[in-house]
Amino acid sequence: MIVAPQIGDRQLASLLGRASPLTKLAIGLAWLGLLLVAVDSRPALVLIAASTAGCLGLGGIPLRRFARAWAPFLVAALGVLVVNTILGAANLDAANPTLLRLGPLRVTGAALAVGMALGLRVLAVAAVGVAFALTTEATRLADALVQQAHLPERFAAGALAAQQAVPRLALDLATLRQARRVRGLRGDWHPRLLLSLLILAVRRAGRVALAMDARGFASGAPPSRYRIVSWGRADLVVGAAGLGALGLAALSLLISWTR
Amino acid sequence: MGGPVGVVFQRPGDQVVMERVEDDVAFGLERLGLAREEMLRAVPVALATVGLAGFERRRSATLSGGEQQRLALAGAIAPGAPVLVLDEPTANLDPDGARAFLERLAALRAAGTTVILVEHRVELAWALADRILVLGPDGQPVAQGTPRDVVASAGGTLVAAGIWLPPEIDSLLGVVPVVPPVGGPAGRPVVTADRVSYAYADARPAVDHVDLEVGSGERVTLVGPNGGGKSTLGRLLVGLLRPSAGQVRLGGDRPDRLAAADLARRAGYLFQDPEQQFLAGTVLDEVLLGLRRDERPRAAPLMASLGLPLDRFATRSPYDLSGGEQRRLSLACVLIRRPGLLVLDEPTYGQDRTTYRGLLGALQEHLDAGAAVLVATHDERLTRDLGGRCLRMTNGVVEAVA
Repeated sequence: MIVAPQIGDRQLASLLGRASPLTKLAIGLAWLGLLLVAVDSRPALVLIAASTAGCLGLGGIPLRRFARAWAPFLVAALGVLVVNTILGAANLDAANPTLLRLGPLRVTGAALAVGMALGLRVLAVAAVGVAFALTTEATRLADALVQQAHLPERFAAGALAAQQAVPRLALDLATLRQARRVRGLRGDWHPRLLLSLLILAVRRAGRVALAMDARGFASGAPPSRYRIVSWGRADLVVGAAGLGALGLAALSLLISWTR
Repeated sequence: MGGPVGVVFQRPGDQVVMERVEDDVAFGLERLGLAREEMLRAVPVALATVGLAGFERRRSATLSGGEQQRLALAGAIAPGAPVLVLDEPTANLDPDGARAFLERLAALRAAGTTVILVEHRVELAWALADRILVLGPDGQPVAQGTPRDVVASAGGTLVAAGIWLPPEIDSLLGVVPVVPPVGGPAGRPVVTADRVSYAYADARPAVDHVDLEVGSGERVTLVGPNGGGKSTLGRLLVGLLRPSAGQVRLGGDRPDRLAAADLARRAGYLFQDPEQQFLAGTVLDEVLLGLRRDERPRAAPLMASLGLPLDRFATRSPYDLSGGEQRRLSLACVLIRRPGLLVLDEPTYGQDRTTYRGLLGALQEHLDAGAAVLVATHDERLTRDLGGRCLRMTNGVVEAVA
């Protein structure tokens, strides 16, 4: 009934889809690092443009799909922009020229610039996340973590099983609430729901663990690989494009600093 | 476990480990350390053996319950286990899904696999068996041998223990068939659905323009495959979901707008999975939950009639009961309010002959008192025994069964 966001075959077959999730993760972290140090609109704009172009070009994601995944963050970014523009510390500095007055509040151009930079930063972080989420299946991420980052097998398999359980928890909660309502109790919220939910989750986890052990999960022998994740041309292309965008963003930052 | 013995459990969804079908089949092969080339050969063979050829890249969450159960079977046989152990593998499947599953088992047995099937509804599986081992309540063997031998040596014991047998064995043993409950002609309408639709987010409608009326004293059974929309329709009728289009009327009101306390006196709903509706720590607290003081004395006689006497069960945890006991406890929680509309999703799950009769008796009392009863079920015996109107629901659409 509730289905996790699905990644289409076209996205999986794209360059971004074929690149190792670790490559995407590394590039994404590098981008986030730059965004962390730079409160400035320019690098954020460069990275938003780059990840949008990357999603549409290298990722095979239809524009509508990308926009739909990205849209909720526009609201958040707008909130950040408004709050920081109105309440920004720069508004208190008399040296800054007034842009407009909202009753007792004075809004300055400097505060607007900071607000824009922070809002764009939210969008840029979101763009990185959307690019990763729309081209990476959990199975492949787990495979890459085990095969390329040499994380323990049990950890990765356990995380995968847990990830599959999340949508079912949402269903359980909906049913438990209905169960309260049909017994004449206000259904919306009650601490007992949490306990029942926990019991269901633990019992199901026990059954899944049993099923996994029945197929030799607990044997401890090193498993062979049905799916292979290996470095390839896609990693080169994605890595080069990602680093190129990072360089451009850094350059734009330098330009605004030196001006 | 693992390796030489393949295991299939009861709940289809709880055995799927991986997101994609082929990865799930390969899961056990990887643990055996098979070479990749061998796995690439073995996975499609195992899927074809269970009738899921071409399903390799499908997401397991999108399969029906019957398909998921056959996927679990594929995962169990892929390592080439000579012995298969199955624990009530068809308990959650619709009749067609169950038959398809047992056909695959028969083919495996013909190909030389040893199949050990644990089952307490043996009608479908009886014909497959070479040998039968009957265990008593204490786990001790009661009888063992070919089906013919077991009927000859322990037929009476089986009947007395309430074990379901195929109809031809029943008549051989002289078992009296269940007396179907008598419903009067439908009285004034209790619930009506007028062009009702419901769609979950991003999916085709689960209920698609359904018209339905159930009258006082009337019983209606709703059959059809897993995922056909039966549970969703049931929840719409008792106001647990709000229709996306159309209207539900419960005695003139829209049930989704009723206050919970009011709704609970007018409509009862039995959820398919008993565990998903437990909200208390003990059996007694569970059955009394939300009741008025004057309704509480109903608990003792009702629980006794359903085979859960309070002197033995009151302080136990609902989760520690057997599946069949959980089902009867959840049913008691619905019946105790004596609502005018009863919507029951798989009420006979896990019931033996004795408790089944008790359940039909309880339904009869409610019908006599003028309740409207709608039952969604895969249990063909219940559909037969309950009588009344039978509707089939497929892809969200309801049609009458001739």
